[in-house]
Amino acid sequence: MTNPIRAWYAGLTDAESNVAWSVGVLFVLFVLGVASGVINLSYGLYLLALAGMYVLLSLGLNVHWGYAGLIDFSVAAFWGLGAYGTALVSARDSPLGFTVDPIVGLVVGLALAAAVAVIIGIPTLRLRSDYLAIATLGLAEVIRSVINNQSTWTNGPSGILGLPLFFGTWPILGDVPRGAPTYALDVCLVAVFVGVTYWALRRLHLSPWGRTVRTIRADEDLAEALGKNAFRFKMEAFVVGCVVMALAGVFYAHLQLAITPGALDPTQTFYVWIAVILGGSGSNRGAFFGGLVLVLIVQGTRFLGGVLPSNFPSAAVRLLVIGVLIIAVMYARQEGVLPAQHELITPGTTEGNDE
Amino acid sequence: MSDDAIADGPVTGKPDPVLEVRGLEKAFGGLQVTDDVDLDVERGTITGLIGPNGAGKSTLFNLVSGFYEPDGGTVRVNGTAVTGAEPHAVANAGLVRTFQTPRKLEGMTVREAMLVGPQHQTGESVLSVFTNRGQVVAEERANLERAMETLERFEIARFADTPATELSGGQMKLVELARATMTDPDILLLDEPIAGVNPTLANKLKGFIRDLNDDGITFLVIEHDMDFIMDLADPIVVLDQGSVLVEGDPGSVRTDDRVIDAYLGGPLDE
Ligand SMILES: Nc1ncnc2c1ncn2[C@@H]1O[C@H](COP(=O)(O)OP(=O)(O)OP(=O)(O)O)[C@@H](O)[C@H]1O
Ligand SMILES: [Mg+2]
Repeated sequence: MTNPIRAWYAGLTDAESNVAWSVGVLFVLFVLGVASGVINLSYGLYLLALAGMYVLLSLGLNVHWGYAGLIDFSVAAFWGLGAYGTALVSARDSPLGFTVDPIVGLVVGLALAAAVAVIIGIPTLRLRSDYLAIATLGLAEVIRSVINNQSTWTNGPSGILGLPLFFGTWPILGDVPRGAPTYALDVCLVAVFVGVTYWALRRLHLSPWGRTVRTIRADEDLAEALGKNAFRFKMEAFVVGCVVMALAGVFYAHLQLAITPGALDPTQTFYVWIAVILGGSGSNRGAFFGGLVLVLIVQGTRFLGGVLPSNFPSAAVRLLVIGVLIIAVMYARQEGVLPAQHELITPGTTEGNDE
Repeated sequence: MSDDAIADGPVTGKPDPVLEVRGLEKAFGGLQVTDDVDLDVERGTITGLIGPNGAGKSTLFNLVSGFYEPDGGTVRVNGTAVTGAEPHAVANAGLVRTFQTPRKLEGMTVREAMLVGPQHQTGESVLSVFTNRGQVVAEERANLERAMETLERFEIARFADTPATELSGGQMKLVELARATMTDPDILLLDEPIAGVNPTLANKLKGFIRDLNDDGITFLVIEHDMDFIMDLADPIVVLDQGSVLVEGDPGSVRTDDRVIDAYLGGPLDE
C-alpha cells in the first residue's frame, strides 16, 4: 500500500520538513486559539485571509526578483493599483460613479496594473537593472501622490469607502450574514487566488520560459548571444509579477471594503522584499512560506500589543524583530529558508523531475 | 590581385560568404579600435582571426554580434543586414558567439544550461505554456534528448546533473561550445576557445570543432596559440591596430614579414 502523504514527506529536504512541521504546529496552535476563544473567530479568519494576501504579494515579487532579477520597489504601488482599480469601478462611494460587479473590478484592477507595468517597463527594462529599481522607487511615490491629490478621481486622502463584498451580488453567497461567514468566504476566495496563482507560476517557472528568464538573471549578455530577446522576457516577467501583486490588492480592497492612499505605504514593499528573501529567492514555496511569516510578524506583534502594557512601543519592536530576523536568516542561510533547487525543465520529460 | 597564397589586406568578394563585413568602424574615445575593416567568412571554412593583444579582435566580435554599436560600416549574415541589430537578432540570423571569459550560469545544471540553446522554443511563450502544453512537453523531451546526445558527443555527459558553477574552466569551455551548437548556428564565433585549457583538452576541442565543421557549421576563431590556430584554420586573417593586415593560408601567414613585424617577434614563435 502506498501512502501518498508519507511518500511526499519522505521526499522533502530537511529544511522543507522543518518548515512543514513549523507551519503545521502554528496552524494547530491557531486552530486551538480560535476554538478556545483566545482568538476571536472573525479575527482569526481575517488573519488567514490576510496571510493569503501576503502570500500573493510574495509570489508576485518572487517573479520579479527571484525569477528575473528585477529590482522592484513598487510592490505597494501595484498592489494599490489593483485595489484602487476595483474600488473605482465597484464602490458605492467611487467618484467615478460606476458600481459594476467586483468580477469586472478584478479585471479592471489587473489591467490597470499591467498597463502601468508596460509603460514603466518600456524605458527601463532595456537598461541595467538598477534603473528599474530607481524608476520603481519613483513610481511608487508618483502613484501615491496622484491618488492623494487627484481628489476628483480618487477622493484623495479620504480614500474610497463602500466597496461591495466580492461575492455581494452572487445568489446564495451574497446573502450570508456579515462577520465570520463573510470572512470565511474571503478565506475561500483567497485560497482560490493563491492556488491558481501558485499553479500558474509553477508551470511558467518550470518551462523554457522560466529557464530563459533564469538565464537572463544570471547573465543577460549570454542569453542575448544565444538568441533570447532579454527585453521581451523581462517585460513579461515584470507584467506577470505586477498582475499578481494587483490581484492581492483587489482581494484586499474587497476584504476591507475600503481603500485609502495610506495603505500604499512603501514600508509594505519592504515587508514583501523581506518575505521573498527570507523564504528563498526564486522558489515559489519559499515565497509562500515568507508570506506566512510576514503576516505572523506584522499581525503577531500587533496581537501581542494587546497583552503588553499600553506604553510598550510595539511598532518599533515590530521593525526590530523584522530586522533581527532578516539578519539571522541571512547569517545562517544566505539563500533563504527554502531556496530554489529545481532544474527548470518541464516536468514529465526527465526521470526525477516528474510532478 | 595576384595568385599569391597571401593577400595584402582582406580577401573579399568570396562566392558564398556567411558573414560579410564592410568598412566597419569603432572608436573608444580617441582610440580607433576598429578601422575600416572588411572581412568575408566563406561558408564551410574554419577561418582564423589572429593579431597582437589589443589589435581589436574581441571588439570586432562584439561589433559583428551586436554587442557594440558600430560607428560606421555594414555587417551581413547570410546576406541579411544586421548592422546595429541587437545581439539576439544577430543570433537569430544565424551568427552565434562565445565569450573570451566563460560565463557560468548561477544555479543551473549543465543539462539545464544546454536547454537554453535551442531557438524559438514553443515553451518560451507565456501563452503557449498554458495553451499548447502538448507541444511544449514534446519539444522539451526532444531538446533534452538532443542535449544529452550533444553532451555525449563532447564527452561531458557525466556532468549533465552537475551545477554549472562546479565545472573547471576547460570543462566550461566544452559546455559553451556544446550549448552554442544547440542553437543550430550557421556560423560560430569562438573567442580564444583554448585559453586556459590544458593541451589534451585543447586537442580534443580541435577535433570537435573539425567535426562540427564537417557537419556544416562555419567557424571564425580568435586564438593566440599559433600552433593550434595554424593547424585548425584556413584561411587566417591577421588584424593589426584595428585593420586587416593580411589574409592567407597558414603557411604563408606564418612566414610573412608584415605579420612578424606586427607581432615584433612575439607570440608567433611561442
Ligand atoms: N569597451 C571599451 N571601452 C574602451 N576601450 C575598449 C573597450 N573595448 C576594447 N577597448 C580597447 O580596444 C582595444 C582593442 O581591444 P580588444 O579587446 O578588441 O583587443 P583584442 O585583439 O581582443 O586583444 P586580446 O588579444 O588581448 O584579447 C584595446 O586597446 C582595448 O583597451
Ligand atoms: Mg580579445
